[in-house]
Amino acid sequence: MARTNEATSGASVSTDPAALIEAYYDAGWTDGLPVVPPTEASIADMLKGAGLRGDEVLGEIAGRNTVVVADKVAINAVMAGCRPEYLPVVVAAVRGLCHPDFAYHGPASSTGGSAMVLIVNGPVAQRLGINAGNNAFGQGHRPNATIGRAVRLTMMNVMNTRPGFLDRATLGNPGKYSFCFAEHPEDLPWEPFHVARGFAPGDSTVTVYASNSLYQVYNQLAAAPEPLLTCIAGALGNLGAPNVKGFNQALVVLAGEHAEIMRASGWRRADVQRFLLEHTRYRVADLKRAARLPGAVEPADETTWRYVFESPDDILIVCAGGRAGSWSACLPGWGNKWTRAVTTRVEETR
Amino acid sequence: MKLFDPTSGPAPRGSLKPAARPPSLAGLRLGLVDNTKFNSDTLLHKLAERLGRRHGATVTLTSRKRSPSHEIDEAAVKALRSQADLVVSGIGD
Repeated sequence: MARTNEATSGASVSTDPAALIEAYYDAGWTDGLPVVPPTEASIADMLKGAGLRGDEVLGEIAGRNTVVVADKVAINAVMAGCRPEYLPVVVAAVRGLCHPDFAYHGPASSTGGSAMVLIVNGPVAQRLGINAGNNAFGQGHRPNATIGRAVRLTMMNVMNTRPGFLDRATLGNPGKYSFCFAEHPEDLPWEPFHVARGFAPGDSTVTVYASNSLYQVYNQLAAAPEPLLTCIAGALGNLGAPNVKGFNQALVVLAGEHAEIMRASGWRRADVQRFLLEHTRYRVADLKRAARLPGAVEPADETTWRYVFESPDDILIVCAGGRAGSWSACLPGWGNKWTRAVTTRVEETR
Repeated sequence: MKLFDPTSGPAPRGSLKPAARPPSLAGLRLGLVDNTKFNSDTLLHKLAERLGRRHGATVTLTSRKRSPSHEIDEAAVKALRSQADLVVSGIGD
């Protein structure tokens, strides 16, 4: 099937910038926010930013009959407001989405309405100025806002993940507009996240992870890991969390003061993971009473424990956020191990 | 100014086309693909039982996917091709 980038075959569209933006709305190509109208030059510059040819295939999802080609990703990245040097991160994220372990169809189309959380590690994060500090999940930083947005626009426009069609989110969440941040590179209590996932410290990576929600965990009084992690375990394993019934992954983001507690205590990543696994459990009877498990409560259910996580490694831990404030965050994963976080290397030069 | 289309249509699938519809299900071999969603197996088997009772199709193979999110694997497709004339899948929440 022939592909063309020009929808109008050279037909004249108003040169009024506002009218041009409206034309993209009219075509159904935006995420609800205005887009930057691409030009031949801006698309070419975008591709150059990642050293890509327009016709390069970046990924495929056979079950959805989807092929992701570079020129379309470049157009969406321009529309999102990316600078060309951001494109390698966008491309790495798209490759992650297409990885079989991510199993794109579920997290993309589920009623669960997942945000695709992008966690950037390594030198590229600092080079591009991807925010890892104050307001790491919030507004105000162009790379965070536009890289995540470019991935979502690509999902909508290239991977056919449109609300009401192959995006069946019941509620969705605001992270579906954009959700991109970097791990804080300094004063980590342990090895960087991407190193824990098998990459070299000098590698730049992006991890894609599907999460239904984000909730912040507050603890100003804890001075040791145990009480703080008890609170985080309570948040991770709350009865309404999707994790509770299905042994999926979870992401914990430790911010400055909480990360410092870990660093000062000498606890390692594995210690934290093990503590959280051991402290997120329910009696089967309680899960049945809350209708999170089927069936009538049997006597043995009162003394039978079911753990929220199957393996310590299912608890992903990243350090980000401002140094001040007693906040961390829990982001439960989508599905019952039906998707896994995928980390891919960012290829900046060719 | 020009508009640049950011969308992609479905990838071309060569000569792939829908299979011919059988005029009757009587005597046909029925395959089931369970996507592992809660109660999907119950629903599929109820459906199969009715198809057998009302239309004469017989279940010859039930395949269980790795998860609802994963594609059916090639080995399962091969088995369904050789052991079933029609397949029922597509269970939602």
